[in-house]
Amino acid sequence: MASTPVLPKLVGERVRRREDPRLIQGRGTYVDDVKIVGMQHLAFKRSDVAHGRILSIDVSAAEAMDGVEAVFTGAQIAEMLAPMPIATPFPSPPHRAVAVDVVRFAGEPVAVVVARDRYVARDAADAIVVDIDPLPAVVDPELAMTGQPTVIHPDFPNNLAVALVPSGTGCTPDGKVDDTAVDRAFAEAEIVVSQRMMNQRLVPNAIEPRGVVANFEPGKGSMTIWSSTQNPHILRTMIAAMTGLGQDQVRAIAPEVGGGFGAKINIYGEEYVTAAISKRLGIPVKWIEDRSEAFVATTHGRDIIGYVDVAALRTGKVLGLKMRLIADIGAYNMLLTAAIPTLTMMMANGTYAIPAIRTTLTEVFTNKTPTDAYRGAGRPEATYFVERAMDMLARELKMDPAELRRRNFIAADQFPYATQMGAVYDSGDYGKALDCALDASNWKALIAERDAARKEGRLVGVGLAMYVEVCGLGPSSSLPTGGWEHSQVTIERDGRISATTGASPHGQGNETTFAQMLADQFGVPIEHITIHHGDTSVVKQGIGTFGSRSQAVGGTAMHLAGGKVKSKMAKFAAALLEAHEDDLVFENGRIGVKGSPASAKSFAEVAGYAYVPVPLPPGLEPGLSDEAFFEPTNNTYPFGCVIAMLEIDRETGEPTLRRLVAADDAGNLINPLIVEGQIHGGLAQGIGQAMVEEAVYNDDGQLLTGSFMDYALPRATDFPRFELHATVTPTPVNPLGAKGVGEAGTLGSTPCIVNAAVDALSEFGVTHIDMMLRPEKLWRIIHGGQA
Amino acid sequence: MDIAGSYTFDVPPERVWSLLMDPAVISSCIPGCDTFEATAENSYRAKLTVALAAITGSYDGIVTLSDLVPHTSYRLTAEGKGRPGFVKGSAAITLRTDGATTTVDVAGTVQTGGPIARLGQRLIGGVSKMMMDRFFVSMVEISRAYDRAIADDSARRAKT
Repeated sequence: MASTPVLPKLVGERVRRREDPRLIQGRGTYVDDVKIVGMQHLAFKRSDVAHGRILSIDVSAAEAMDGVEAVFTGAQIAEMLAPMPIATPFPSPPHRAVAVDVVRFAGEPVAVVVARDRYVARDAADAIVVDIDPLPAVVDPELAMTGQPTVIHPDFPNNLAVALVPSGTGCTPDGKVDDTAVDRAFAEAEIVVSQRMMNQRLVPNAIEPRGVVANFEPGKGSMTIWSSTQNPHILRTMIAAMTGLGQDQVRAIAPEVGGGFGAKINIYGEEYVTAAISKRLGIPVKWIEDRSEAFVATTHGRDIIGYVDVAALRTGKVLGLKMRLIADIGAYNMLLTAAIPTLTMMMANGTYAIPAIRTTLTEVFTNKTPTDAYRGAGRPEATYFVERAMDMLARELKMDPAELRRRNFIAADQFPYATQMGAVYDSGDYGKALDCALDASNWKALIAERDAARKEGRLVGVGLAMYVEVCGLGPSSSLPTGGWEHSQVTIERDGRISATTGASPHGQGNETTFAQMLADQFGVPIEHITIHHGDTSVVKQGIGTFGSRSQAVGGTAMHLAGGKVKSKMAKFAAALLEAHEDDLVFENGRIGVKGSPASAKSFAEVAGYAYVPVPLPPGLEPGLSDEAFFEPTNNTYPFGCVIAMLEIDRETGEPTLRRLVAADDAGNLINPLIVEGQIHGGLAQGIGQAMVEEAVYNDDGQLLTGSFMDYALPRATDFPRFELHATVTPTPVNPLGAKGVGEAGTLGSTPCIVNAAVDALSEFGVTHIDMMLRPEKLWRIIHGGQA
Repeated sequence: MDIAGSYTFDVPPERVWSLLMDPAVISSCIPGCDTFEATAENSYRAKLTVALAAITGSYDGIVTLSDLVPHTSYRLTAEGKGRPGFVKGSAAITLRTDGATTTVDVAGTVQTGGPIARLGQRLIGGVSKMMMDRFFVSMVEISRAYDRAIADDSARRAKT
C-alpha cells in the first residue's frame, strides 16, 4: 500500500498568508481594475468653503465639454436619492449625498459629472462654477456647544448631536441618574487627579482610496456594485433600499480591498450616487477617489476631548472615576458616527475594578469632515484617558506604575465580570499580561537603564499601559446590522472544499486562517481549500469585517458550518465503509475507521459518492454543503500590556522610540504569524497617533494637513523592532476560544508612549502632554515654555 | 495667515499714491496678471495666472480699494477663485514720508480654501509675500522710471 503523507495540524501554526503572492505581485483585482464596455466615469465637484449657502451652480461650461455625458447638481441628485440613512438610534439632521442649498464642510460634494474618462470628468468638474455665500464656520467643539458663532443644523441648537448622556454607577436603563456613590467616592478620596486630555483627529489613510463601480442592467432590472468596502452585504442592503431595488436585485462585490481601518464600514454618498446615476442612465459608471479627496471625503477618526478625574486613596486604591467626553463628530452623522464615542464610555474603567464611575458624553457638530470608526473605534480613546490618568496618579503617589495598576485590576477569579459601564468582560487575567510584559522588558533593568541615561543628562522615559478591548462584535442586540456571521462550506465533487464567509477581509488574512481551521477539521491539505468572500452572490449572507470580529464570529460560523458538513460526510463514509459514523477519523486526506487505517477511503472518493450516491443511504439527501449562522452571546474582551522606552533630544525636542514591548492576549491564536502582523499594524497606527499624526484645521474650517506633505504617517524607520509576546486566555463566548486582534495594537500604544514622554520630561515638572509629540512642543517644555 | 512688508520709494507720497491708484500701473505690477479692468469706482476685475506647484492655475478675482485717505492710507481687498480653490486677502496700506522718500507699509491677512488650503498651505505664505514683494519692487522701478523720464523731460526743456 502506498504510504499516505501525514498532514500536520495547522491551527496555531505560523502559516504564511496565502493571499500575499498575488497581492505583492500586482495580481490582485481592485475596484479600479474593473472595466466594463461602455463604462463612464464620475467626478465630484466639492465645496471649497467649510460652511456656506449655495447661491448658484453654473454647469453650462461643464456640460458643453466634449465627452461629458451629464452633470447633476445636488438638487437633481436629491430627486433620485433620499437623505442618507444612519445605523445608530440617535436623532440626525438630513444628510444629502450631494449638498442641497447649504454646505457644511470643505470637501462636501455639490455636483457630479459623468464623462467619457476620468480626465474629462475632472476637467468638467473644475469648470463648474459654484457661488457660495460663506457663513461663519466653527471648528472648536467646546465653542460650537455654545451655539457660537454658528448653528450648523437648524434643528440642533448649540450644535449638539448627542447632548450629555450619562452612564455608569447609579444610572439605570430608564434614564435615572443617582450620583450618590460617585460623590461619596470623591468625598472619601485622599487624592484626586484631574486632567483635560485631547485624543486628536486622525485621517485613516488606507493605501487604496475608496472606489465604486455600479452597473445597472436595464434589461435584467438588476444592479451589480463593486466597492472598496469592508462589508458588501451591508452595502447591498443600503443600495437596494436607496435605489428602490430588492436585495435579490443587487449584487455587491468587494474585490481586493487595500485597507479599511474602519473608514470603509460606512456606506458613503458616492456609493449611492454612483448606483443612482447608473440606474438613471442605464450604463455602468465608475468613481475612484483621489488621494486629495480622500483626506476630506472619507471619514476621519478619534477627535474626543476627555475631562478625567480619578479619586483614590494613598494606597493607590482607586475609589472613583469621572470622565466627561466631548466628541467632535464633524458636520454630519455617518453610519456609525454617533455610536463610536459610546464605546469610549463603555470601556471607561479599562482593566480596573473601580467602584464608582460617572461618564457623560456630548457629541458636537462642527464644520469638519464627519468622523466614524477608525481602528479601535472608541476603545483607544478610553484606554488613553484611563491609562494616562492612572499614570498621573502613580506619579503623584510616587508609586511604581505597574504596582498601582496591579492594586486595581479586576482579579482573574472575578470573570465573567460585569463592569459599572454595562459591559460583561468574558475572561481575563490582567496580572498575567502585566507580568509577561514586565518580564519580557526586564522592567527593573529598563528603569536602571533609564536612570543611567539620565545621569548622562539624556531625557529618557519609560511608559507602561494596560488595555482591554471590545472585540468579536457582537450580539445582534448591540449592532443594528445584526451581530452574527454566516458561512457555507461545500465539499466539491472532487473532494476539494469551497467555503464562504461574510466576514469580508481587507488585509486580515481570512483566506489563510479560515483554511487552516478547515484543513484541520477535515484532515485535508490546505491547498485543497478555497475561501470565497466579498461577493453577495457567492456569499449568501454576511455582516462584514469590523470590530475585530472576523475570526471570533466569522471563523466560528465557518467552524460550525464545517461541522455540519462533516457529520453528513461521515454518514456517507460510514455507508461506504460499513462502519458507524462515530467511529470515523478524518486525517491525511482520508476517512477511515478508528484503529483500522487500511480500510480508509480517500476524501475525494467519499465526496464523489455523496454526489453520485448509488445506492443512496436511507434518510440522506445527495450532496455535501451546509451553512451556519453564528450569533455570539457576548462580545470578547482581549487585553494586554505595552511598555515603551522613549528618548527625547534635549537640543531639538525630537522624540525617538527606543523600545516597544507588547504582551497581548487575544485568546486562542489560529495563526500567530498573522496575529503578529495585525499587532504590528495596530502598533504602527497607535505610535503614529502618539508621535506624528494630526488632522489640523484652521479657524475657517480648512484642513491644513490635507496631503502627505503635511499629514505625517509614521514610517518603518520611526519604529524600533517590536518585541511581541502573548498570553492565552481563551474566551468562552465561541468554541474557538479566539477573541480578535485586528485593532488591539492601537489601544495600549498611545498611552504608553505619552506616559514615557511625560516620564522623560519629568525633570521639567510636566504632568501631561497632549498628542501628538511634536518636537517643537517637547522643545518648549524643555526650554521653559508650556506644553 | 498674516503677511507684512515695507517698501521705500524715492519719491514723495503724492507720487506714490497716484501710482497705487492707477489701474494700468497696478496691472503691470501684479505678477501673472492677464487682465485688470475697472468694474466700478475703486473696484476691478482681474485674471491672474500662477504657475507654482499646488497653486498652479488661473484665478478670477475682484480687487476693491476702500477707506481711501489720499496720500496716507487705504485698504485693499482681493478675492480670487480658480480650479485649485480660492484665495482671499485684505491689507491695510499706509504711506509714511521721510523727507524725500516714502515708505509704504502693508499689513494683511490671506485666507485660502479648497485644495489650495489642503495642498498649498505651506506655500501660500511664501507665495503671497513673494507676489507682494514683486508687485512693490515693480512699482518702485516704475516710480524711478517716471522720475528719470521727468528728469529727462526737464533737461530737454531746459536745453530748448
